[in-house]
Amino acid sequence: MKRGHAAPIGKGAKMKVSSMVVAIGFCVALLFAMEPRAASQGASDQVSLLKQSSIVFSGTVTQLGAASFAEVPKSAQTIVVRVDTVLRKPAAVSLKRGDNVTVEVKDPSAFHEGTRATFFTDGWIFGSGVAVKELGHQAIAAGEANVPAASESALGKAQEEAGKEELKQRIAAADFVVVARVTEIRKWNVPKSGQYRVTEHDPDWHDAVIQIESTLKGPKVKKNRLVVRYPQCNDVAWVHAPKFEKNQHGIFFLTKDEVSGKPTASLDGKSVMTYTCLSPGDWLPMSEEARVRAAVKSQS
Amino acid sequence: MTAPARFTSRFPWHLLLTVGAVAVFVLTVGFLSVRGQSPAAPAIKVINLIPASLSGETNQDSEPFLAIQTANPQVMVASAFTPNPVSSTGNAPVYVSQDGGQTWVLNAITPVQRMTCDITHAMATGESHPRGDLHAGTLACASSITLDESESNDVASSATMDVQSTRGNVDQPFVRALGVSSGDRIYVGVNDFNQQNGHTATVDVSVDGGASYKSIPIEARKTMGQDGPSVRPAVASDGTVYVAFFGWRKFDGKTATSDVVVVRDDSAATGANPFQVLKDPSDKLPGALVVKNTSIPWSNAPTLGQERIGSTLSIAVDPNNSSAVYVGWADKGNTGDIYTLHVRSSADRGATWSKTDLPRTTISNATNIALTVANNGVVGLLYQQLTNGRWVTHLVQSHDAFATSQDLALATVPANTPTEQFLPYLGDYDYLLSVGNEFRGVFCANNTPDFANFPQGVTYQRAADFLTKTLNDGSGNPVQISIDPFYFTVPVIQ
Repeated sequence: MKRGHAAPIGKGAKMKVSSMVVAIGFCVALLFAMEPRAASQGASDQVSLLKQSSIVFSGTVTQLGAASFAEVPKSAQTIVVRVDTVLRKPAAVSLKRGDNVTVEVKDPSAFHEGTRATFFTDGWIFGSGVAVKELGHQAIAAGEANVPAASESALGKAQEEAGKEELKQRIAAADFVVVARVTEIRKWNVPKSGQYRVTEHDPDWHDAVIQIESTLKGPKVKKNRLVVRYPQCNDVAWVHAPKFEKNQHGIFFLTKDEVSGKPTASLDGKSVMTYTCLSPGDWLPMSEEARVRAAVKSQS
Repeated sequence: MTAPARFTSRFPWHLLLTVGAVAVFVLTVGFLSVRGQSPAAPAIKVINLIPASLSGETNQDSEPFLAIQTANPQVMVASAFTPNPVSSTGNAPVYVSQDGGQTWVLNAITPVQRMTCDITHAMATGESHPRGDLHAGTLACASSITLDESESNDVASSATMDVQSTRGNVDQPFVRALGVSSGDRIYVGVNDFNQQNGHTATVDVSVDGGASYKSIPIEARKTMGQDGPSVRPAVASDGTVYVAFFGWRKFDGKTATSDVVVVRDDSAATGANPFQVLKDPSDKLPGALVVKNTSIPWSNAPTLGQERIGSTLSIAVDPNNSSAVYVGWADKGNTGDIYTLHVRSSADRGATWSKTDLPRTTISNATNIALTVANNGVVGLLYQQLTNGRWVTHLVQSHDAFATSQDLALATVPANTPTEQFLPYLGDYDYLLSVGNEFRGVFCANNTPDFANFPQGVTYQRAADFLTKTLNDGSGNPVQISIDPFYFTVPVIQ
């Protein structure tokens, strides 16, 4: 759970894929069609800006030093922008053409009433309207369309880079990356000498014994078997951690168990170290195997 | 919101004008329905906290809490298990109102990433920040659960709360605060697994606005290895501090055999040996035993409807008479019950307690008890009861220790929908406070926009169509039902 993810977790994160794809494509196209000043930035910086932005839209500045709804503290850095086109937003956020958005900008002198721009932003305050913080912007010249034609290749590049980066981080953080099948599930009872605590956030630890079919990262393991300790509990603290069933087959990104308090288990009559994979995405289905193998190979 | 436009298309004006007074009535009700405002009496308000700009959200926003700024009760902060709406790496948010609860915004200022796993807070005003002095206790949903005790001097700003103290291996922080001229005094009840000898019931006390905290264990008796999760402080303006907790004597995995214990301090816990003054006559140890060896069912799985059970507890002190104190809890009470609430009282600073429950306060199959006492001595009791397949949220008021009472149903919603995303379903607690002649509180419930579910009326900020009883994302796209936090204000009976 310490790692970042490309998309937020939970129902609120269920972005509409099709609109997101179009939006990303458009954003990247915009970035590639920037004015000389902005275009002087490296392409990787531009994609990075796009990836940082949770809300991207084009619009027209209507007020300076103002706010679009009462609860936003207005300042010299806040401007009101009328939305012309929404390019990216989480599904939970209600934002559409014609809405007025408060933008806390980095440099107010870059804007005047009537300025048209694409705003790359992060969410700030959500009330009767939306207030955001500028991460970057790109001015739209007079006569230029609000939505230039999207670039399929640029879209593909941005999506691919985002996915690669997340996977790269996940692989780097893991002690083992293995293709394996769960052969046994057993409840792990904290030893009486251990720090067993009754709490609503009790993870209800279970051990999944996995049979390794292929090791993509990490040392060779005796008999190709490992014990993965995971929280079976549906408490708010653990709900997004991967849960396992017997015969579950997939790719495991494992780190040494630093959570359960006693990172050992019995396997084939011997005490072995336990591992965890607690973040969503630390277990992937076999359909992701080729992508993971390629990523591991590129890092080795 | 598009609701008014919808109204126009559903109710052609030329037809309405021809049917006279009846149509006018229909028009009025219909208009209010589509706007998400009921024709209920204006004094009672129930308001869905989800802002209009987050109309598309479908999170299980359970376990609500509320803080009201003492100096300016127009300023309030509420919380729930609401994630950062745009980022998995951004800060977990709180709800902020600056107009007495009429409108709320979501502001991501807590020090926890994405979403808290427990959060309570209080807004004393000893430090005189117009929109601040919010003191919060939060647990982070990380692989190791960590407590942060933090402060904001302006809840409307974008500044992340300042973490003043942090440590691990604790559970369920419960924050109360008292503003005094020298600064805020903060009391955080926690179940602290770092304490020795299983005496885990603890109060973290700060008498300097959170600059420093001292952890004070308050359990004096032998435990089964720990106390129950709920440790609840209540602070009176004269500096009397009560704390209630579950002293767990036995535990078999399904049932805790527990005492309900109350400790007291008469000098704001500023002395050398705080919380020692109230001794039980049975063993002369600190902590009055309100009830001994009661059986409390423990289930970290859906048990009462889709809710888990095991630790609901509340304590309240009369703000103008610190001798009068009330305690409520749930246990395995009545035969056939899953979970039974009880309320008892003391009129002598916790020295002696009513031997039986106060009238009409033995409540079947209910949880999330919250007690408070208004300025005129009226006791408020908030709870949620599973009744005939519905979660019914009650606010009961009494001026005579429940010999007589007024019982309002604030919400009555289906208990089987939506399906739980995680536990707790509604929360391990809700909350109730008094300010002036109002009771103000928060609870969580199924958010179907149906006036039949809210007998006192309701106002939605988020896009909702009360005619079709559906939610939408503000652009007309349907949004599924989920659990939302609701704020309410109810006049105190005279």
